Amino acid sequence: MAESNSLQNIAAIIYITPENSKISVKNDFLQLELTAPNEEGNIETKTYDRIFLHRAFPFDHPYSYISVLDKDSKEIGMISNVDIFDEDTSLKLRAELDRKYYAPVIKKINSVKERYGFSYWNVDTDAGPISFTLHDTYRSMLKVEHVRIFITDIDSNRYEIPNVEELDHKSYKKIELYL
Amino acid sequence: MKKSWSYNPSQPNSIPEELSESLTKRGISKENVRLLVKTDMNTEMVRCDNYLVVTDSELYIISGSNTLSRKNNVSIFSSKKLQSQFEELPSQNDTPAVFNIKDYENFKVEELLSSSRLVAKSKNDDSYVLIANMSNTYKNDMYNFVRYLNDLVQKGEFTPEKEGKHSKNVFCPKCGNRYVDPERKICPKCMDRGKVIRRTGVFFLKYKVQIFIILCILIVTSALGVLGPYVSSGFYYDEVLDKNGKFYGELLLVLGIIISTRLLNTIISIFHNIITSRIAANLVYDLKKVIFSAIERLSLSFFTGRQTGGLMTQVNRDANTIYWFFCDGVPYFLINIVQVIVIFIIMIIMNPLLTLLSLVTVPLVVIAIKSVFGHMGKLHAKRYSRSRSMNSVLSDVLSGMRVVKAFSKENEEIERFDSRSRALAAAEETTGIFSTVSFPSISFLLYASNIIVWAIGGWMVIKGSMTYGILLTFISYMNMIYSPMFSFVDMTSQASDSMNAMSRLLEVMDAKPDVEESPNPVPLTNIQGKVEFRNIGFSYEKNRKIIDGVSFVIEPGKVIGIVGHTGAGKSTLANLLIRLYDVNEGEILIDDVNVKDISFEDLRKNVAIVSQETYLFMGTILENIKYARPDATNEEVIEAAKIAGAHDFIIKLPDAYSTQIGFGYKDLSGGERQRISIARAILRNPKILILDEATAAMDTETERKIQTALERLTVGRTTIMIAHRLSTLRDADKLIVVENGRMPEFGTHLELINKKGIYYNLYKMQAQALKNIGIES
Repeated sequence: MAESNSLQNIAAIIYITPENSKISVKNDFLQLELTAPNEEGNIETKTYDRIFLHRAFPFDHPYSYISVLDKDSKEIGMISNVDIFDEDTSLKLRAELDRKYYAPVIKKINSVKERYGFSYWNVDTDAGPISFTLHDTYRSMLKVEHVRIFITDIDSNRYEIPNVEELDHKSYKKIELYL
Repeated sequence: MKKSWSYNPSQPNSIPEELSESLTKRGISKENVRLLVKTDMNTEMVRCDNYLVVTDSELYIISGSNTLSRKNNVSIFSSKKLQSQFEELPSQNDTPAVFNIKDYENFKVEELLSSSRLVAKSKNDDSYVLIANMSNTYKNDMYNFVRYLNDLVQKGEFTPEKEGKHSKNVFCPKCGNRYVDPERKICPKCMDRGKVIRRTGVFFLKYKVQIFIILCILIVTSALGVLGPYVSSGFYYDEVLDKNGKFYGELLLVLGIIISTRLLNTIISIFHNIITSRIAANLVYDLKKVIFSAIERLSLSFFTGRQTGGLMTQVNRDANTIYWFFCDGVPYFLINIVQVIVIFIIMIIMNPLLTLLSLVTVPLVVIAIKSVFGHMGKLHAKRYSRSRSMNSVLSDVLSGMRVVKAFSKENEEIERFDSRSRALAAAEETTGIFSTVSFPSISFLLYASNIIVWAIGGWMVIKGSMTYGILLTFISYMNMIYSPMFSFVDMTSQASDSMNAMSRLLEVMDAKPDVEESPNPVPLTNIQGKVEFRNIGFSYEKNRKIIDGVSFVIEPGKVIGIVGHTGAGKSTLANLLIRLYDVNEGEILIDDVNVKDISFEDLRKNVAIVSQETYLFMGTILENIKYARPDATNEEVIEAAKIAGAHDFIIKLPDAYSTQIGFGYKDLSGGERQRISIARAILRNPKILILDEATAAMDTETERKIQTALERLTVGRTTIMIAHRLSTLRDADKLIVVENGRMPEFGTHLELINKKGIYYNLYKMQAQALKNIGIES
């Protein structure tokens, strides 16, 4: 048992687990029924018509440390890992997270043209061919763990290159400059 | 090609042709379509062409894919005329393709991280349904659509915006790419270069005489240059050293000529350098002045949207590049062309065969140089980006040294620096090796053609068909022709650098301030200080509302408090009043005059703000306080400082009011800086005073003291106090509670307590906190 003044006790994070909750889907959206202490410290069961999922560590832990928010963006609790739920629920949670953090994976870079501080990209992704534009190419490419790149275009759409070193040689050459 | 398109409700004809079939199939005639919007994903997040069609009662989802195909009998001359064909996808999921819009309310766009979706609330069971997904590219279209749709559902009609920003074309008609800034309608890709050069060239008009002189000098020097080989080789061998020559034996004369041309050349080039240095310095100064004043004119949003740290360095570098283009690049380019042509003609006259031979390796060399320069450019860019990343670590660590030491992370930081530094070293190594390998190789190629000419020419001399002098002259000319030719190759990359610099310059100059001063301002004399917010809506980023429908009136001389959680939009309200930003909806009035109609000078003279971000400029404390009113007397400054509670600490400093403060404000604490900026605002003596968390960085005792002083000051002055500590606001006449950009509560302290709403909760919480430490409030 942790000491009463430990960080954990002070923070008092509510973890949403299969034991204290029920997650279901209604009209494509997730619903949550949770039994947990409320602000006054009394245990109560509450139903949230819609819940919103946020990754605490979107790059490193896409399916763990998930913050669950209500429709007013107030945190209801956290899910330590979606896989602690049964397979069906876990799949639903994963699907919702994948939608929220939607980022087509770039498979091949057909062309990158740099003009006056903007670059025009034409790529093949797992969602089909896409063209997009970046402002300040170098800063639009977020490097995670050296080889993983997240690209944010001027419309704030995101694209992912899971491993630049696994791109074909021609594609790699086109972006080598920015790495 | 990416092409966004959104339906303009005022033009029913804009329904895309390819949808006709799908509409007919559903029994919708074009006249019945009230709204139409396109997204790029279906509800399963699969990319496709997804249309939402709204009639008076239904919303249809038509999803499929557009394919472009050429019409069958189109002639090759109009091959660009592509016909769009739309093929519907079969419905794959259980989301219905038709919604009865009367069954839903509150259609809204929900923003996910990098995509958005349209949802609606069902009237039957209050649950939400998903209607469509889209990438953020289509988000703005959707926001407009939703606004119209909600109006249509609620009122049965909607009024399309006349000047719909988003309904207009946001794509360059020439290349189909999106305008970077839809307001500017300039496509960087299709920019008119001639225009850019002409507009930048205006700066050089001031120096047209000097530039003309430079051009003349260049002509003279290059003429002398062309003459040189003839005098030093051909003439010398054939006329002076040769027994049959006209000037046989007159060595002194020849030496005289050579020395005097050399001398003339030197004098001219010194003169040339003096002129260019003068123009360079003045021109770079001119450019910087223009850019800096353009920057100062711009609204705050320009700076938040751009990386401003390097802005001035960029300006410096750009100014030099532009200078180079007009003063070195273009004149040399012209001269080189003339020189090449002249030398070429001379060479052909001297010996056509040798001329041909001398050019044998040139194509090879040009190709080699081009690829070397191309690769070199990439290597340099790589080196530059690596050094940038190394420097960023360096400055990061140095300014955060306190934290590094506190967590004893020295070794990790060394490691981090080391890896970046190593990367830079590697890039430098590659660059170095590449240049040492490539340039001698190119020289060798050039040398090869030299050898050929020497061999064939030597044979000709032996045969007697050419004199030794002519051969030597020829070879000198041959070597002279190479360098201008190669400079053309290099020219292209440098020219594009200059184009970049010029367009950046124009970008800054053309950037329009979003907040513009009214051309015919209403004069404000003797203002009373009445402030009214009328249904204000505002967003920093398009369509992401920070303030939504806030209205209130502050009577002259009253003190009003704004409370709310961090990030609720409190400071934004203050920024809107002083027009750091302009409202998107509604109006803000001072004494019943719209702030947009008040001149900046009147506005800022009558409204002063002390914000949570305090900035002190380099200079003395006195100068900093007087910044608000340069004509204030020293007494006034001291009084202001006294009211602000700054006087006591200032006077304890060795240099008191003359203490120099730098841009790191190492000498002053946060609370001290805040007090100086309060003094600054007080000195301005405005009718309307905004205190935005002005006392947040102070201890309670100091805060109390300043408040008592301010209380006296606020008499007869409209005061807006923003705070999250409620005790700060105990003297406010009325309180505004802001939450998520809305204003749910407005009233006096007592009214709000009795209402038992948000304010009551906040109050209870803070009182509880005080109780916990033994203070009853």
